[in-house]
Amino acid sequence: MDEKRIVRSELRWVFVVAAAVTLMLVVIVATTLANALHPPSNVETIDPATLHIAGEFTEANLGTQENADGTVTVRLIATQYAFVPRCLPVPEGRPVSIRVTSPDVIHGFIVAGTNANTMVVPGFVAELTTEFDEPGDHLMPCHEYCGLGHSNMWAVLRVVPEEEWIPDANGRMTCELVP
Amino acid sequence: MTVTRQHDGSTDEPDDLKEADLERALRLVPRGAAALAGLAVALIIVGWLLVYLLVFLPRGPVN
Ligand SMILES: [Cu+2]
Repeated sequence: MDEKRIVRSELRWVFVVAAAVTLMLVVIVATTLANALHPPSNVETIDPATLHIAGEFTEANLGTQENADGTVTVRLIATQYAFVPRCLPVPEGRPVSIRVTSPDVIHGFIVAGTNANTMVVPGFVAELTTEFDEPGDHLMPCHEYCGLGHSNMWAVLRVVPEEEWIPDANGRMTCELVP
Repeated sequence: MTVTRQHDGSTDEPDDLKEADLERALRLVPRGAAALAGLAVALIIVGWLLVYLLVFLPRGPVN
């Protein structure tokens, strides 16, 4: 085989690869624009040394809170080596905002079987908003290596059907309140 | 004629392979390589499309 034919076949292959990459980019850009998708990007700072003493992330304020407009806010802390609280109830098919921060090192937040996924960086509050459509327990393993206890660091997100969603008088909901 | 045996057991005796056969094989082999590489890339792209369209998008946006 002469050199010209080799170069020609290599150029053909470059074209195939470029077409493959272009196809994927077109699909990503088209669906992103059509659905107005964007990654959760919340730049909000917090002092990791004092967040447990006062403000939004004190222990009494952690957990699930139903807002006046029916949406739900979940506040939690990712710390070596647990999520607090360990079980997070959310209503099925309603907008849920999750706010999470870390007092120590970087952790990872992910809900199995959903697209909910973010890093938890000390000094910042990570926030994401989505809806959960599949009732039941979803595993939430820490997915950012955070130390020797990393593999034991996990929690559960419990998607509760509307008829079982009975928060208390203050709009607080816990997994213990799920019948 | 003395036959020298090489390390791999072959000899330097002329074999039956004709130049034309060699040419033909060297034309076919790259076609097979291209088919194999093309199939592999096509499978990757199809797999990516299936996961993106049937798993990632139905899970809904996270903003
Ligand atoms: Cu962790």
